[in-house]
Amino acid sequence: MMDVIFAKWHVTISLMPFLLQGLLMTFKVSIFAITLGSTLGFVLGLLRTLGYRSLTGIIGLYLHIFRGSPYLVQLYIIYFVLPSLGIEFLNFDSFTAAIISLSLYTSSYVTEITTAAIYAVPKGQEEGARSCGMSKAEALFYVVLPQSLKMMIPPMASIYVVIIKSTAILSVIGISELTRQGEVAILRMPGDIMFVYCLIAVMYFIYCYPVLRFAKWAEGTFGSIGSVQDQES
Amino acid sequence: MSWLNDLYNFRIVGQYLNVFIDGMITTIWLSFACLILSFFFGIFIALMRMSPIGFVWRIAAGYIQVIRSTPLLIQIYLIYYGLPALLPFGNLFDETQTAIIALTLHTTPYMGEIIRTGILSIGKGQKEGAMSVGFSPFQNMYHIILPQAIANITPPLIGQTAILIKDTALFSIIAVPELMGAGLTMFSETVIATESYVTTGICYLLIYVLTLILSGFAQNRLGGAAWRSN
Repeated sequence: MMDVIFAKWHVTISLMPFLLQGLLMTFKVSIFAITLGSTLGFVLGLLRTLGYRSLTGIIGLYLHIFRGSPYLVQLYIIYFVLPSLGIEFLNFDSFTAAIISLSLYTSSYVTEITTAAIYAVPKGQEEGARSCGMSKAEALFYVVLPQSLKMMIPPMASIYVVIIKSTAILSVIGISELTRQGEVAILRMPGDIMFVYCLIAVMYFIYCYPVLRFAKWAEGTFGSIGSVQDQES
Repeated sequence: MSWLNDLYNFRIVGQYLNVFIDGMITTIWLSFACLILSFFFGIFIALMRMSPIGFVWRIAAGYIQVIRSTPLLIQIYLIYYGLPALLPFGNLFDETQTAIIALTLHTTPYMGEIIRTGILSIGKGQKEGAMSVGFSPFQNMYHIILPQAIANITPPLIGQTAILIKDTALFSIIAVPELMGAGLTMFSETVIATESYVTTGICYLLIYVLTLILSGFAQNRLGGAAWRSN
């Protein structure tokens, strides 16, 4: 019993620097995607509430396309199909393709959250601000958005967990993030498949669990929109 | 028409049409099986999570947390490599059955959380009324609470089903012949990325539209209080 534990401990120690490198990459990709995707999604969600019919329709189609197809398919299309079109600009390397696809995927969720949060602010707030002589933009930025931003925090945190977990899929295009590093580690130590995957699972857990706890805490503190549910990739 | 043929070659897709249709059928029945199983187990997890006994609800809560904070891909690998090693009869399962087990294990906590919010949304008076006319706790749950709870949670259940269908795409990695696998097969045989992957995407969108239409029916038939307030 003791020597088994000792052997596993030895495997852990020798693989740790390698896996930590992967965790760093996972962290990097997820932070990039979350920042870019949230910005894009926030802008789209804001545009969607302005009430221009054609704009709302186009954004709705965008959301349906990105939420109706699996992330794996989106990744393959962005990584394999776009470069084969022969346009210089679309010739992504794997890291750019990963960031772009993950950002677009994030933005589709964030758009929904932003729209729901803006609609969740009672209409009287905007009408009151307008009747005080604020312009439409002023009412939006000083009255409506501060209230809806607060409501956006809990669902955004759960979406971030989804995005962190989605980075595991990037291993199929050869980004050296945590899952990929684990697969390479298994090539080095083929006897410990289960153990290495358990290690990776623990590392993902350490990264995701605090965010999930934060989401739960934020839901108690800031309230929830209700209609936006916990999403999974 | 030649420019269209350069962009998207229909003839090659036509040759692989039966592969894609087979893949679509596999995806649909796989996700349907997982939906039924995870809904069934989700009720148990929800009841366990609400149990007053510390030991029971802690197990359920731990299971929910672990599944929710690890990626599905890692869970698939763990079950794919772990099942034959841990269970004496684990070798009996083929890839598709492994896929069903993994996806059911993955979806059950989400279903459980949705069902739990549904059960909590039912007023206390319903339970007390049922108890006062002499219903046992099981009859109470089965005849009074669950029918109302399930009617209330149709919108999130449909959302979770859409996610479940998208999740099946990951099983192409362990060689389950579903829709994504059909796209990968076509790509590996013809090496044309556009037709293979765009067709796969279109097929998934078709399934998505199908779920949207079905969910419209479901909302009209079952829509409960939570749905009307939206």
